[in-house]
Amino acid sequence: MIKNLSLAIALTGATMSLHAAPLGLPPVPIPADNPQTPEKIALGNKLFHEKRISADGKVSCSTCHEESMGFTDHKRVSEGFNKQHGTRNAPTVINSAYMQTLFLDGREPDLEGQSTQPPVNPVEGGLPDHEAELKIIRADPDYVKAFKAVFGVDREHITMKEVSKAIASFERTVVAGDSPFDRYYYGGEKDAMNAAQVRGLKVFLEQGRCVSCHRIEQTQALFMDNRFHNIGIGFKRIRGKEAETAAAFLKSKHGGADVDHTVLTNENMSEVGRFAVTENLTQVGAFKTSTLRNVELTQPYMHDGSLKTLKDVVDFYNNGGRLKDTDPVSPFLSGGIRPLDLSDEQKQDLVAFLKALTSPSMAKLASKKGGNTP
Amino acid sequence: MSKIDRREFLKRSGALLAAGSLPLTLVDVAFGKASTDDFTFAYISDSHLTHLKGKQFVRNWDRGLIRAVAEANLMDPRPDFFFYGGDIAQLGKPEEIDHGLEILGALRGNVHYVMGEHDYYLDLGEHWRKRLGPDHYSFDHKGVHFVVLNSIKTFDDWTYNKWPSAAERMHQMARLDNPQGSPFMVGDKQRAWLKDDLDKVSKDTPLVVMSHSPLQKIYKGWNFWTDDAEQIQALLKPFRKVNVLYGHVHQIQTNQIGNISFNAAMATSWPWPYPATYKQQASYMPKLTVNMNRADPFFERDATGWQFINMHTGRVDVNYRLPGNQNRVVAWDDKAGHPDDTQFQDAADRIPPQTHY
Amino acid sequence: MKKRQIQRMITAMTLVTAGIVAVPLAQADNFTQADLDRWQQEYQAVVSEGEQLFHGGLGNKNTVSCDQCHPNAANTHAETYPKFQQQLGKVAVLGEMINWCIRNPLESKPLALDDPKMIALQAYILQERRGVALAPGKH
Repeated sequence: MIKNLSLAIALTGATMSLHAAPLGLPPVPIPADNPQTPEKIALGNKLFHEKRISADGKVSCSTCHEESMGFTDHKRVSEGFNKQHGTRNAPTVINSAYMQTLFLDGREPDLEGQSTQPPVNPVEGGLPDHEAELKIIRADPDYVKAFKAVFGVDREHITMKEVSKAIASFERTVVAGDSPFDRYYYGGEKDAMNAAQVRGLKVFLEQGRCVSCHRIEQTQALFMDNRFHNIGIGFKRIRGKEAETAAAFLKSKHGGADVDHTVLTNENMSEVGRFAVTENLTQVGAFKTSTLRNVELTQPYMHDGSLKTLKDVVDFYNNGGRLKDTDPVSPFLSGGIRPLDLSDEQKQDLVAFLKALTSPSMAKLASKKGGNTP
Repeated sequence: MSKIDRREFLKRSGALLAAGSLPLTLVDVAFGKASTDDFTFAYISDSHLTHLKGKQFVRNWDRGLIRAVAEANLMDPRPDFFFYGGDIAQLGKPEEIDHGLEILGALRGNVHYVMGEHDYYLDLGEHWRKRLGPDHYSFDHKGVHFVVLNSIKTFDDWTYNKWPSAAERMHQMARLDNPQGSPFMVGDKQRAWLKDDLDKVSKDTPLVVMSHSPLQKIYKGWNFWTDDAEQIQALLKPFRKVNVLYGHVHQIQTNQIGNISFNAAMATSWPWPYPATYKQQASYMPKLTVNMNRADPFFERDATGWQFINMHTGRVDVNYRLPGNQNRVVAWDDKAGHPDDTQFQDAADRIPPQTHY
Repeated sequence: MKKRQIQRMITAMTLVTAGIVAVPLAQADNFTQADLDRWQQEYQAVVSEGEQLFHGGLGNKNTVSCDQCHPNAANTHAETYPKFQQQLGKVAVLGEMINWCIRNPLESKPLALDDPKMIALQAYILQERRGVALAPGKH
């Protein structure tokens, strides 16, 4: 309880007020039907950390989205109920408020929708259905009191709508800008970044070809584009089997299987990416661009957690979407990915620059309780 | 930022008519029981593979063709056959044609080929014909008569007498905006062949004419042009249902002239701009055309793609597969009597990427 | 007025009339039609050079040329610069976008903004866009 309170204070301190935008970021989009209030945020914070909302009482949102680990879990793929493995790396909650779709394949349109899926996924929360989740919440008089105060609903009328709104409301405070990059680029502080980081920014904007997906703009930088791209990760797993995997996936989806369950429990089907949602042949293997803000804190990287360090990531891109430059190239590779011919110094500078995207507020959380900054 | 209504969101994300995986099933759904005359074929065009040296080719164009082949092979059920719309090569070199045929060899099915000017003007089609056979021919499939033309010939003088070398001639034809270019045509001899071929076909048989040049006169400056278009159209006029499919223009174009529908193919390599964007000369873009969505040049595959054709009741529906962009469907509209973009035909439905150029 | 002053005034006026001593009247930019024709030719020579560079003359290893996506410089939107250019992440001028194309589809080394080749390319592009209304800032 105290831990959560201090987190709330740290976050609101960082953002200065509920609605002010950090340096380098636009104002947080708040949906009209879910305005922010301190009480709602506090309720959402509590639910986010609530381990009882799981089949064994041991798994909460914060299990995989832990603030001392950049709101991820530093695992290749997440482990939920009964230590079962999923198929995907946990994305960070930091700045997810700016995303137009949630999950790596964009299968939910908002934070509210996203929060409803993990509790009832067999390898995450493990609960049989949403009624089970609501039963747990309704059984706690503190929650009943809080939902009444925030939403005006009594115990029997607490639904997933209120639960998801509260959680989303808390997540909308997990925003952070004001990094060394922001102070250099938008704050006019010429010595906020060191020489290697300044050179790395140049690589980012030019030869590295990063800026088109990891966007920087004239007055703000989200470092993401709300689009889906196949950059060659995971290609090897279904190589040569793309047609049969896609067909098998469609058969299961049209047969009534839940996409959320399928993609997190079947390693091959997980690789079809955005195709799982749009059934568009041109999006096989495409995943959502992640933000690079605070990327130093959220290792390992990519949708399957297959790249351990930022150096590995830069090497992967430099090779044109492959681990080694002798590996085959995925035929479904995005047209934005190609060999970059970066020198060793350029690669090091790029990694240095990526570390300049860490927000002080997030670094602070990560340094508490021995959480690591690599 | 407005919150998308969840139902609306799922509707947009879901597999509507524009989905790319089950074409025959969609024909069933849309048009009732599928008749045995309904079928699907895939159509890939304009790869422009460019040889550099040794085994090196321009990576960008290679990736485009490889991608189209990989996606076409995902089609389930499989298409009846494939068509390749012309310009395998960029400079007509045997290395380029062979490299293209190697990549296209991965297609799971039979492939029919159309000659393009970039395949032709180095050796006047010798290597192409050696590997692929005649450059004009016809065949029948499930009640539809397919005719393939070599529509990129030009005046004899330009072809034989004007240039000091074959390589120079190829370079001149390769430049699209060439003030010293020469218009495409089918030519007297081939038109005579066409007339003979069509004489044997009943006027009720649906025709599909595969051509590289548009068999229309759209913009001469870029050879979006067939000089004997009217004469060819006259030969096609007596038939009740005619569909012309053409390459060369690297963009979506749609037209209806009398009984003839015209649909252009996207290129796997790179897009050409719409002629109206060149302000120093007039052009004649068919009004039915709903422009392809403006692309982001960062993505090498954006504004490129391939297409699959659903044939039903002897009419053509073109399903454009556009990587990194929004797929488009231009389908025959029986009430209107011409092809229609299924989403954007109405001016009120256009979106900025189609109008903001 | 003293006699010497009058003398000097007469000399000055004579010199002025003879055109030997320049007087700040309406002669700031001194050119004739012949000058205009000559300068127009010099400009057209640079346009020609730009056309040649645009159509494969840049010598980049992958042989991709500007006219492959931009025949007659169509779709360059030259008249809309300066503007926010998403691929550059900032408000940019035409020359910077030309360099983006040289780096990316042409896979080659960018030119200095005052390189004669860069100037020639811009001359050709703008010449093909002549008469099109300026629309700076338009996406």
